[in-house]
Amino acid sequence: MNDIFGLSMTYIAAGCLVVTAAILALIAFIAIRNPVMFKMGLRNIPRRKAQTTLIIIGLMLSTLIITAAFGTGDTLTSSITSQIYEMAGEADEYITWDTEKEAAPADQQVIPLARVDELRQQFAGDEDIQAFLPFLTEQLPVQNTRTRLNEPAARIVAFRPADTEALGGLKDLSGRPVTLGPGELAVNKELAEEIDAAVGDQVLAFYKGTPVPLTVTAIVPNQVLGGSFQFRQVQGGATNFEFLSELTARGENADGVFVSNRGGVRSGLDRSDAATAKLEAALEGEPYRVEAFKKDGIEMAEFFGNILLTFFIVLGLFSIAAGVLLIFLIFVMLAAERKPEMGMARAVGAKRRQLVESFLAEGLGYDLGSAVVGLVAGIGVTFVMMAILESAAADEIGLDMSVTFAARSLIVSFCLGLIATFIVIFVSSWRASRLNIVAAIRDLPETRPLNPERATWLGYSRAILNGVVAGGITAISLLAALRFPGQAPLFLLAALVGLPGPWLGMLRGHNFGAPAADRKSGERAPAWPFILGVCTLPFGLLVIMGYALALLLVRITRDRKPESMPGWLLPAGIAIAPLGVVLSALQTRGRAVAWSVGFGTVGAVMGALMVQWGLEANQMFLFAGGVSLIFFWVAATLRYFHIHERLTFTVVSAWLLALWYLVPGKKLDWLVGPLEGDIEMFFLSGVAMVTCGVFIVVYNADIILPVVEKLGSRFGRIMPAMKTAVAYPLTSRFRTGMTMAMIGLIMFALVVNSTLNSNFERIFLSEESRGGWDVQLMVNPNNPITGLRATVAGAGVDTAPIAAVGENRIAYGWEAEVENRDGFENDDGEVKEFSRLTVIGADRDYFQNTEISLKARAAGYPNDRAAWGALADGGALAILPASVTAEPEGFGGPGEFTDVLRLKPLQDGFEPFTLGLRDPGSGNIVTVTVIGQAKEAGEIFWNGMFVPLETHKEAYPDAKGQAFYLSLGPGMGSRQYARTLEAALVTASAESLQKVLDDQQATSNAFMLVFQGFMGLGLIVGIAALGVVASRAVVERRQQIGMLRAIGYKRGMVALSFLFESGFVAASGVLLGLLLGVSLSWVLFTSGSVGEESKNAGFTVPWLNLAGVSALAFGASMLMTFLPARSASRVPIAEALRYE
Amino acid sequence: MTSFATGSTPADEVVIEARDVHKTYDTGSVQVHALRGVSLTVPRGEMVAIMGPSGCGKTTLLNSLSGLDDFDSGTVHINGTDITRMADDRKTEFRARDMGFVFQTYNLLPVLSAVENVELPLIVSGVKPKIARQMALESLGRVRLREFATHRPNQLSGGQRQRVTIARALVNRPAIMWADEPTGALDSGTAGEIMDLIVELNREARQTTVLVTHDPKVAARCHRTILMADGVIDVERTQSEMAAVAAGH
Repeated sequence: MNDIFGLSMTYIAAGCLVVTAAILALIAFIAIRNPVMFKMGLRNIPRRKAQTTLIIIGLMLSTLIITAAFGTGDTLTSSITSQIYEMAGEADEYITWDTEKEAAPADQQVIPLARVDELRQQFAGDEDIQAFLPFLTEQLPVQNTRTRLNEPAARIVAFRPADTEALGGLKDLSGRPVTLGPGELAVNKELAEEIDAAVGDQVLAFYKGTPVPLTVTAIVPNQVLGGSFQFRQVQGGATNFEFLSELTARGENADGVFVSNRGGVRSGLDRSDAATAKLEAALEGEPYRVEAFKKDGIEMAEFFGNILLTFFIVLGLFSIAAGVLLIFLIFVMLAAERKPEMGMARAVGAKRRQLVESFLAEGLGYDLGSAVVGLVAGIGVTFVMMAILESAAADEIGLDMSVTFAARSLIVSFCLGLIATFIVIFVSSWRASRLNIVAAIRDLPETRPLNPERATWLGYSRAILNGVVAGGITAISLLAALRFPGQAPLFLLAALVGLPGPWLGMLRGHNFGAPAADRKSGERAPAWPFILGVCTLPFGLLVIMGYALALLLVRITRDRKPESMPGWLLPAGIAIAPLGVVLSALQTRGRAVAWSVGFGTVGAVMGALMVQWGLEANQMFLFAGGVSLIFFWVAATLRYFHIHERLTFTVVSAWLLALWYLVPGKKLDWLVGPLEGDIEMFFLSGVAMVTCGVFIVVYNADIILPVVEKLGSRFGRIMPAMKTAVAYPLTSRFRTGMTMAMIGLIMFALVVNSTLNSNFERIFLSEESRGGWDVQLMVNPNNPITGLRATVAGAGVDTAPIAAVGENRIAYGWEAEVENRDGFENDDGEVKEFSRLTVIGADRDYFQNTEISLKARAAGYPNDRAAWGALADGGALAILPASVTAEPEGFGGPGEFTDVLRLKPLQDGFEPFTLGLRDPGSGNIVTVTVIGQAKEAGEIFWNGMFVPLETHKEAYPDAKGQAFYLSLGPGMGSRQYARTLEAALVTASAESLQKVLDDQQATSNAFMLVFQGFMGLGLIVGIAALGVVASRAVVERRQQIGMLRAIGYKRGMVALSFLFESGFVAASGVLLGLLLGVSLSWVLFTSGSVGEESKNAGFTVPWLNLAGVSALAFGASMLMTFLPARSASRVPIAEALRYE
Repeated sequence: MTSFATGSTPADEVVIEARDVHKTYDTGSVQVHALRGVSLTVPRGEMVAIMGPSGCGKTTLLNSLSGLDDFDSGTVHINGTDITRMADDRKTEFRARDMGFVFQTYNLLPVLSAVENVELPLIVSGVKPKIARQMALESLGRVRLREFATHRPNQLSGGQRQRVTIARALVNRPAIMWADEPTGALDSGTAGEIMDLIVELNREARQTTVLVTHDPKVAARCHRTILMADGVIDVERTQSEMAAVAAGH
């Protein structure tokens, strides 16, 4: 991978290394400056070995997922790249006829050998171009007379030996030079395997129906010199140039010319741009085009690798998000566990900073351990995923997957995982350090100082002022600079004004900010912001500048604070940034600030900007993200003013949830217009919806508790366990919500993925896809078949099982053009008059027997049969494929990377309209009238526009594609008959349509398994979280467990209570993910947001699959809680009662 | 071995009978002999206080007698039933049915309301929820906390919490109530109120009560006080003797 999300991997790796080094330097600094706290932190690691193991497993997930995502991308890129280098060898570009420059019949699209010689002379000694290799090529059926095995479409090529000398000549598999005389054939490895050919075998190649005997003289590698021109059709061979030239009557011409650049197989690529430019200049005015095919291929490999990487990263984001929650939860719980210790440390003189340092030291210990474990596990997971894909889908993918990791990717994976974890540890450590010493020592709940401004407008204004100053000015200004690039300098200036803001809040609570009377001598301002700035140069310069300004401002104002500040000044400070910064510094020390309101308001302002931006740019991400931020502000405000908390969170969450259903469901299009979203919306919607769902559940679960209790009361013995089990989770909303969110997030991702996939499989891989046919016969383009039944009978095959035969004549996209009626842009941004589209001409029998369903019919055609019947009757009519009206919007719609024809969606009963079919060879145009559009299912085997056979011949006289479709009578298996046909007919390949569907289903299942497995990794997070919470609960509730045992709870009952408790949280998370995932999938699918094809296709839920995933998640959760539950049941009563 | 006869108060039927009870804690590096052969009998309805310096074995004795903890040797009979070799589950059922507990730190479940805490032993014993709720409310009424039934522990004062604990200990009308420092965490005024309540309930229900305390004033409210030292019963004092000690104290 050379870049990701448009950023160079080298720069990302370098940046990651710098930040990682800064983190390690910071920890080293702590170790040197404060060895006691450093040791205190480190010694906590081996204290509870089981807990440490659990923490490392939980923390490693980020690294594991990033590593596996990179590994998958690297593997795909490197596998394709290797195959391209192997196939292309020394060849870098090729020159062929360009029909767009000059139309010509196919057999006249050649380049004279004399012209090649001129080019050779012209570029002799050129610093970029080394050699020219003119070649001849034909796709011919080949049969091994010894084994009777045949290949209907082998690419036979021929080069002149003198030309290939420049590239080292043609060599066999063991590296020996191969010289080919007339009638001799060197088969490539792929073809040799298919027809079981060995040196000395006689093969027959069929040219225009005439068998041409050839002798196999060598087996050569799958390279262009051996006939491997195409990525997924590598079977071929090489023969004598003069021999093939005579056979095909090419005369002194070549079909094309390969060009080799100076340098080796890989290094020649660097000269590709220069060589292409020189060749294009030399061929200016001539009907040829130059294709940098090796470079394009390598870019394609990068592109596919990137797609896979992006896909896995997006899928992995769910697990990473859940991992972040887990890290936070773990450290909050560690802090809770150590509260008395930390209180004692503070009592004997440790500063808050030192507590943070101690936690950071401990955290980095876990972090380093988990990053190493995660890296190794990620490599392992990549191997497993690739093995599954290769074993189940190797043929479909057409690649030899060899797992590869670029060093850069490993560095980035390791560092990113470590950095992400460290940031969360830092935040949670800081939060943990804010404790009340007495409350901590006595392990009492934290108390808040009285705030006279609580729930008042004055307090509200103060909160906004502080939120705006502490980062708001900078964040809003930066967003505005992006939004309005014209005024960017002005907004960037405003962002600079806000730089001291974040530090003012910190310094207010520090000794440095205290007035003279309270200030302790000998304590100076913290130096770490300066160190941070130096470590993150050059951006750190802004940190240093902001901190220096903040120090100066605090130094000036700390002894000049007014007794009170007039309320009217606050709005002025909010509106005028520089004034706000000064007012923030002048505030009374120790006055509580409602930060959720402050930051919520900043979020609302940014949200409003994003909404406006999203509406203007039609971006769903910006719109939905902006509205969500505004909702967050509403909730924070209502809560601040003591509006009933349950009501506030329930109503706001429900509204937000509704929005997330309505926007992708296109139900708000009338108001906001069509908004476009891509795969990133999957993650954003998941996070937003699960968060809303968790709030609703956590704040309202007590409503269903009586029901649960009632259920429990039916089973008298478990009633006591049930009673305590449901009571605890609801009193620890934070833990319960976090754990529920982790499980819910992953379940959501799994459910959406499975549900959409199964529905698409239903559309594309159903019985309907066969269109009523059983066997497909693809005929060699050089050996067309006339009268299939007679040919089959002539080959000795019983034709009785054939119930119907339909013939297709195919002009593929590269040889057929169709009028771009609706003026859509192609991928190069141009609106061309004609676009590419495969056009299929079918005979009367085909149209009379086909059962392909139509999704839209023109007015006047009451049913599908009427439309097909009209084509059967001949005339200039056409039926379009489903994909031509697919929209590019939605969650990654198709069409974005292609230049195929696209039209506006058609409604059933549309007015028939005309399209022009142009033959690029001759430039002739035939007009057809469109009377229908096939359903998506038909595209598996017929991805093109249907026209009657005669119309097709008129429009594309040179088209060589030919296929037959057979419908078999009852009792005849399609697989068996296809095998019989394949063996009997040399010039055609036969396949059972059902087998093709089954193979595709198997491939789809393999991919699904890999995706589910990859996402399922995130479940480890949720399950680990449950384990951590349960383990912690055993420690926390030791005395309560003792009491329960004392008053009559049996051991089993205590264990059951813990299991029920975890079960309640796990089941809530699973059900939440299930409910949200299925409902969103329904909205996306039925609204056509994931592709036009899904709009009227119905919707099914893969209950069996989802039940399996849910059962696995729930079962694993229970398993994880089993140990803590058992340990709870074994708590010695007397000890538990006596000791805290 | 030290043995003491039952005191002069209602001394008809023996409810607790311990013989030669030994208990040693093994901390890994050190062995602590918490009980060194204690024998004791308590008749029905008697209130017995166990006193002694820290580490003398008071709580260990209470835990051993009540079946909360195992002991190394000796026998303990409660209501004539030998609990020495009783399986854990049976012992648990026995506790739920015949014993009530009051602890210094209340040990209420913070997530349950007062009435839910009180009804818990009944539910464990298989009493129907409706009846359990009724009995729990009655029990709360006896400790004068009926109006606080729906309050959670953190919404109650220390004295109120201890009254909830007592209500819980008495809700199943147990034969014995065990109390470990029931007033240890309370101020003297509240402690007096709690002891009034315990004495009153003992008198009304003729419940046997064994409590561990450091406070001579608390001990003076009991029929008999056993003083422990170094894992053995050192001396026994009557209520009047203790009253004198408490007055002097």
